[in-house]
Amino acid sequence: MIRVAAVGDVHLDEDLRGSLRPKLADIATHADVLLLAGDLTRHGDPAEAQVVAAEFGGLAVPVVAVLGNHDYQCDRSDEVTKMLEDAGISVLEGSGVVLSLPGGRMGIAGTKGFGGGFPGKCGSEFGEPEMKAFVRHSRQLAEGLGHALKELDAGFRVALTHYSPVEDTLAGEPPEIYPFLGSYFLAEAADSGLADLAVHGHAHAGTEKGHTLGGVPVRNVAMPVLRRPYAVYCLGTGDESACR
Amino acid sequence: MTRDTSDYVAGRIERALASDPRTHELGIRADVRDGVVILRGEVACEQRRLLIAEVVRDAAPELDVRNEVSVPELQPPGEEEKLT
Repeated sequence: MIRVAAVGDVHLDEDLRGSLRPKLADIATHADVLLLAGDLTRHGDPAEAQVVAAEFGGLAVPVVAVLGNHDYQCDRSDEVTKMLEDAGISVLEGSGVVLSLPGGRMGIAGTKGFGGGFPGKCGSEFGEPEMKAFVRHSRQLAEGLGHALKELDAGFRVALTHYSPVEDTLAGEPPEIYPFLGSYFLAEAADSGLADLAVHGHAHAGTEKGHTLGGVPVRNVAMPVLRRPYAVYCLGTGDESACR
Repeated sequence: MTRDTSDYVAGRIERALASDPRTHELGIRADVRDGVVILRGEVACEQRRLLIAEVVRDAAPELDVRNEVSVPELQPPGEEEKLT
């Protein structure tokens, strides 16, 4: 059994330095790995990334992240990524990582993802260049996620994104903005890549639990949804006492 | 005939909250009526709550600001969920 902790949308900056670290001190007693589902900074300033590195770097469990839209606001996402990587945090974008954990080998494939909407209510690569570019960006990131999932040589596979793969976990958000909150391309990637779990953030007013059409559990771990420092999901069977 | 265009003002305020470097908040709802803007939503700390009101006063100085934005407390990690 593998215990997966996850949280997103922590939106850290200097005002919140030290606010999470004490709550993460005993994370190894609750989880084997921590996933960060994007929007780690307030607006993608490298100084904010330093706060993220200080809060989540050097924990007793591996930390794997994707960036979110806020982390791109200053157009310095490469610097943000490097600061997190230097702190030992794996940052995924169309890529994956396999971890050997006490409960087995777990692979994580990640992308920021993007919007575009959901079946019957989505954009298409048609018309103005801006519209085509919008939907193409979403499709290409989802394709990267799908490829990365399929390349994982692991007993358990997790799809980690910032944008949502499904509508279920957006319940509570205004339906009019669903196309800006996620894309079903991500769900298709999770299904075709045989993910055991899909984790995302971004939808602060959404709900925690949903699933893809293919049956993959989807969890919205945006901190305003969880109202706790992280949620823990247990994959697999085995040591029942490890996940009560 | 005078039409109520207060939603345009609310939209302008919400855009200011999203784009202003002091806030970059996308989850705050502004409702404008009778010369008052009511702000609702959640942020992570008191400093951010105060900055929201500051940005709104700059964006719409003609309005009184009622700041109902709250700062929720985080709960302990809680129970794990078994998926398989």
